[in-house]
Amino acid sequence: MPATARRRKALVPWAFLAPFCVLFLLLFIAPIGYAVYQSMIRVERTGPMGLGGAREVFGGLENYSRALSDPAFVDSLGRVLLFAAVQVPLMIVLATVLALLLDSASARWPAMFRAMFFLPYGVPGVIATIIWGFLYVPGVSPILDALSWLGLEVDLLGPSTVLWSIANIVTWAFAGYNMLVIIAQLKAIPGELYEAAIVDGAGPLRLVWHVKLPLVRPAIVLTTVFTIIGTLQLFAEPLVLKPLSTAISFTYSPNLSAFNEAFNTNNQALAAAEAVLLALGAFVLSFGFLRLVGRGRR
Amino acid sequence: MRASLRSRILVTALLGVLALYFLLPVYWLLVASTKSTGDLFGSSGLWFADFRLAENLVNVFTYDDGIYLRWVANSVLYAFVGATVSTLLSAAAGYALAKFAFRGRETVFNLVLGGVLVPATALALPLYLMLSNVGLANSYWAVLLPSLVNPFGVYLLRIYTEAAVPDDLLEAGRIDGAGEARIFFSVVLRVLTPGLVTVFLFQFVGIWNNYFLPLVMLSDPALYPITLGLTSWQSFADRQPELYQLTIGGAFVSVVPLMIVTAVLQRFWRAGLTEGSVKG
Amino acid sequence: MTRGSNLRRLLVAMLGVVSFAAVACGGDQEPETQQREPGQKITLTFWSWVPGVDKAVDLWNSENPEVQVKLEKIPAGNQGGYAKMHSALKSGEAPDLAQVEYQVIPEFLLEDGLVDLAPLGVGDHEGDFVEWQWQQGAFGDGVYAVPQASGPMAMFYRADLFEKWGIAPPTTWAEYEQAARRIRQADPNAYISTFPPGNSAWFTSLAAQAGARWFDISGDTWQVDMDTPETIEVAEYWDRMRQDGLVKTDPDLQNGWYADLQAGRIVTWVGAQWGDAILMGNAPETAGKWRVAPIPQWSEGEQRSANWGGSSTALLKGASYPEEALKFALWLNTDPESIDLLIAGGYGWPAAKGAFSGSALDKPYEFFSGQKINEVFAEADQNIDKSWKWIPTTTAMYENLNQGFRAAVAGQGSFADSVRAAQTKTVADLKAKGLRVSEG
Repeated sequence: MPATARRRKALVPWAFLAPFCVLFLLLFIAPIGYAVYQSMIRVERTGPMGLGGAREVFGGLENYSRALSDPAFVDSLGRVLLFAAVQVPLMIVLATVLALLLDSASARWPAMFRAMFFLPYGVPGVIATIIWGFLYVPGVSPILDALSWLGLEVDLLGPSTVLWSIANIVTWAFAGYNMLVIIAQLKAIPGELYEAAIVDGAGPLRLVWHVKLPLVRPAIVLTTVFTIIGTLQLFAEPLVLKPLSTAISFTYSPNLSAFNEAFNTNNQALAAAEAVLLALGAFVLSFGFLRLVGRGRR
Repeated sequence: MRASLRSRILVTALLGVLALYFLLPVYWLLVASTKSTGDLFGSSGLWFADFRLAENLVNVFTYDDGIYLRWVANSVLYAFVGATVSTLLSAAAGYALAKFAFRGRETVFNLVLGGVLVPATALALPLYLMLSNVGLANSYWAVLLPSLVNPFGVYLLRIYTEAAVPDDLLEAGRIDGAGEARIFFSVVLRVLTPGLVTVFLFQFVGIWNNYFLPLVMLSDPALYPITLGLTSWQSFADRQPELYQLTIGGAFVSVVPLMIVTAVLQRFWRAGLTEGSVKG
Repeated sequence: MTRGSNLRRLLVAMLGVVSFAAVACGGDQEPETQQREPGQKITLTFWSWVPGVDKAVDLWNSENPEVQVKLEKIPAGNQGGYAKMHSALKSGEAPDLAQVEYQVIPEFLLEDGLVDLAPLGVGDHEGDFVEWQWQQGAFGDGVYAVPQASGPMAMFYRADLFEKWGIAPPTTWAEYEQAARRIRQADPNAYISTFPPGNSAWFTSLAAQAGARWFDISGDTWQVDMDTPETIEVAEYWDRMRQDGLVKTDPDLQNGWYADLQAGRIVTWVGAQWGDAILMGNAPETAGKWRVAPIPQWSEGEQRSANWGGSSTALLKGASYPEEALKFALWLNTDPESIDLLIAGGYGWPAAKGAFSGSALDKPYEFFSGQKINEVFAEADQNIDKSWKWIPTTTAMYENLNQGFRAAVAGQGSFADSVRAAQTKTVADLKAKGLRVSEG
């Protein structure tokens, strides 16, 4: 093959990659670089209202130290970690159980149930939160009315409960989706495998434990990673519940805090530092999880 | 395999209870959307009071010169255009990564994988500042452009291409003298269809449900998607109590088509799967 | 092919992209202002959330076919409205005019977001406005806002329930506490009020009523004095009420609170004049049962009130036709017909001089059992500490207080701790903005 033809052939995959890669560099890599750059800016001003002018100077890592020395921000990091520690296993176990129940021979009308469980996935998180918000407010919520009729006074928006009320919204919205990913993998299992297991005398529970679960492992890993990333990004739910609950502040989650610093109090540099810290944390956790899973398999 | 009657009743009852949990908020929304503002706060949430659904819906569609319909149109535009283009870009990139050996292939793939792990919300703030400096913030582009990049779609379609597109098919096309572009558009995309539908639906729902990106990017209500529009109504509601009712009515109207869409989506999902022999 | 060469190439590519980003982000351009030709038709955009302002804008539009105003409703300032304005200022898409509350004017100045109206001759109209409200927008030689309305405070109370229980409406805070106790005994479901831990703007006004003055400027340096004895006394008062179970700690101004007002579970609201519209709109079933009395006093016989809220119409940087925009802002806030329309919506207490007597405010309200409630607010308006100043980080300052209040309600620390912590944090916030601060 002549050299020019070979070079042209070498360009073919890049031609297919180019549109995606250009956008990926501009809209993924560049913002990360820009956030890092922004996070190192400090502003100096003259006059009590800054009317004498402002200028930007290099501030090194001081925005990072400011973020990490703010107890409210550190609390918010701890809060989403706690949230993830509970939410991720809860979500994955529930989704797996739902998938296995629907897949079992004992379930009637599995298609109908599957559609019902999956339905909330089509409801945007903010709208789900608006709806649940009404179900959480004393004096408005029929659930609380029913409980108080039974003599139970529950505060679903209090400081010790609201995180779990948020967990409920997230579970409601996404359990069906994760279930469907796992079902998709279950359906891909060749039938002969089951028949072989049943011929060997495996009961339904052994079938689940020794055949189905190992085979849907990739789907479970996938849903776990996405749940980790999703829970760390906690934003819309606390923002919408904020006016309803005295327990939610603008520093409730790291994302909310960064948003507040960027748009309400105009501290872009601090917001950038917080966003970088959050991205780093999410990256380390999900990457760490993948490594852990990878090692376990070997 | 036949299950015993007892276990069938038990499992089905359990599924029924879970279904109640998933349906309760939708039922509440249905009931609430038929009420007046006064009844919303003053009557039981689980049963109908004075039935005013038609009146409420008229209000939803006519308030502020019918801005709600505009939000619906915007949501459809963002989700449909964004998901279509991003699926095509992902398919091209996934195909290149799956079927060509070239220098830098693994680097690109690892970068894309890394991109999957970066929270989208952490990107939104710097992206906003960048776009506002080139004059694109607060425009359709501000929401559309970031929606075009879907690293997870590239990852899925690379794997799908490896499994579904045989090398012989590509070679046959090349021997027939077809150009690389023609092979991709007329051969590869056809074989990939079930995978494309899945990636499209993922991305469509992702964009449809997105709140943070439009919240950060948009200030003109004429550009809002439904999510942002409804929360803006809710945030006015303390001064204009009738907006509580509009928020609920608007949420109801936006959820109904989604229920239909998810039902349709289920069929597509199943079409793309290898049918197992287990009864489903 | 080695890993090293790949990595190097990747780094080079990333550097290229990052430098592109830096270039793309460097170019701030000043928006152009224009002069209107006679007979030229223009449209100004105006962002506001004030109820009733749409009717005033319609009136202006029918009288001024050449200078049309397009009103865009936005969420109330602290609920996302200001975030929207700041973000629009950054992207160069700001409207010509916007609703800006007094407490955030310095924040907008710090971001260079407001047009100086002094060169446009706004000074000629100074005499049309109440002086202290005018001062809210005047800094140095500049004037940055046209005052619209304030929020003199008084006490809304359920006259029917107070009478039923045989409790006299309190005139001092000590009586208020006693009344709170008796209400709890009279009806186990009823509370005198809520202490909203997420609404420290309200707490700030109560501290001001007690005589606190948190912020001052000397030369170029800010003086921050939040943890004064007056403030601590107010904080401890409400902390005691909370610990004794005499007040709720639910948020105000949201649907649970409205449900409580409707059902008589909350029977007073120490609120501002603009609160009348909120009560009438959200608790329609309680019509005819409310009355208004002066805000309770710390010492008997005193007459001190405070201001809560208060708002202006400002021109945002980039306003395309500043002269016409200013003309509209002045008309909106001084024209008697416009003021009547704004009053009907419940925008607050007019900043224009002499706008009370004879206006739509000067009438009995059926909702308030036929009382001429604005006589109480007119009196209150005379008794406000008019020297109060706002810092350029008020939004963050409110949030600092909220955090402490929330923590206290959740069982960590006291309200007084919250004030002390907010003092420290607010000083740090101002310093981080590159401003000079000294602690009192």
